Amino acid sequence: MNSAFQALLIGFQATIANVRANMQTFLISIATISISIGILGIFLIIFFNLNGFLVSWNQQVQLIVYLNDDISPAQKNNLEALFKDSSRVQSTEEVTKDRAWKDFRLSQAEKSGMEFDLGFNPLPASYKVRFKLSDNRLTHISEFAEKIQSETGVESVEYGKNWISRFEKFMVFCRVFLMATGALLSFGLILIISNTIRLSIYSRQDEIELMLLIGATPGFVKIPFLLEGMLQGLCGSILSLGLMGVIYYYLKSEFQVSIESIARGMDFQFISQPFLLSLVGLSVLIGLVASYISTYHYMQVLNKR
Amino acid sequence: MIQLFNVVKKYGSGSPALDDVSLKIEKGEFVFLTGPSGAGKTTILKVLFGWENFEEGQVLVQGINVGKLDAGNMHTLRRSIGVIFQDYKLLKNKTVFENVAFAQEVTNRDRKTIKFKTWEALKNVGLTPKKDSLPAHLSGGEQQRVAIARAMVNAPPIILADEPTGNLDQEISLEILKLF
Repeated sequence: MNSAFQALLIGFQATIANVRANMQTFLISIATISISIGILGIFLIIFFNLNGFLVSWNQQVQLIVYLNDDISPAQKNNLEALFKDSSRVQSTEEVTKDRAWKDFRLSQAEKSGMEFDLGFNPLPASYKVRFKLSDNRLTHISEFAEKIQSETGVESVEYGKNWISRFEKFMVFCRVFLMATGALLSFGLILIISNTIRLSIYSRQDEIELMLLIGATPGFVKIPFLLEGMLQGLCGSILSLGLMGVIYYYLKSEFQVSIESIARGMDFQFISQPFLLSLVGLSVLIGLVASYISTYHYMQVLNKR
Repeated sequence: MIQLFNVVKKYGSGSPALDDVSLKIEKGEFVFLTGPSGAGKTTILKVLFGWENFEEGQVLVQGINVGKLDAGNMHTLRRSIGVIFQDYKLLKNKTVFENVAFAQEVTNRDRKTIKFKTWEALKNVGLTPKKDSLPAHLSGGEQQRVAIARAMVNAPPIILADEPTGNLDQEISLEILKLF
């Protein structure tokens, strides 16, 4: 049998023995990891869904160019030529004064159930300009809006710039908040796991000393504890994400219709698969780092005698 | 094989446990270190297998300069020495067989060799009938024999025994000494 594989097998057997000997501490550590990963996971779910909203709204954003009532046919032709010449414009739709007024009256009648009649039409004619999907779509819309605004015959342009930029700033804040929370929770987890591993080391102090005395390499001694730390990270994250998954599917089956009506048909998302794997990976890595710190510290103490 | 040159070892700020100790042991020699309690016998052994640092002098074991060996390579020295400890240092949760096998597991030997060598070592010390017993169920003499089997199972060129009969009566002590 390959000696490295045998060392790993012996290490894993020792890990199981460690876990059995310190079952209570092991379970407490897993519960703590689960809670921490759970907190991070909930923030991630919120972030994903908000991001989904932003992407969906970004795709729905269109530029509305309101026209002066006295715009000449030549000026209109000029505007249409500008729309056609732009490679980023996907389509345009002209909304006449009459159609705008008709649509407005129809929507008001649907909402309030009352007919709306002022005796004159106060709404301007407009163009609805849709843009192709691209990475910097909003920037393109903003640039194009500025260009169009200065054209003669244009009264104003509208695409919800302030609202979207505020939401984008909020998403940047969310990202920073997520990273800070993640870093803080990771640091806390390292402390907790390293203390659990330290307890495990002290419970097997005699065995470790004997191993070293009879010629074990430092790596051979460390392997069971490193595996234990990784196992804690793995179990904690799987437990946490599994529970979150169950809660997610329950909420989705119970409240999907309400969510869709609030969020205009948007689907309630769970953490994406790459992020799920990253969370498990992060948790295992934290377990490894934490147990490495404990074993390294213990070996240093032994070597200084 | 073993050489000590003017070795000084101090514990704290008190008088040295080893004060300018020099000795030379050749291959095949059987050497007794005698002296009153606190004379530094155990300390010399610990220095030899790199469990205690020393302040001055040089220690050579099998051509290895112990003082210059870093922690990561200490196992190369220790694998050439079989140590029998005064307090046996048997693992309470492992059987007699597992305790002896453990000395080979840490050196990454294959399972088949471990089984064969362990059986041989237990046969040499007359403990095969007790192979499945836990150390707590053995007498002092039997525990000492397990410790001897563990020290010898890897056939190291050097055996260090720290008061191997210290806790035993005269009759069993003679039996133990016959094993060396």
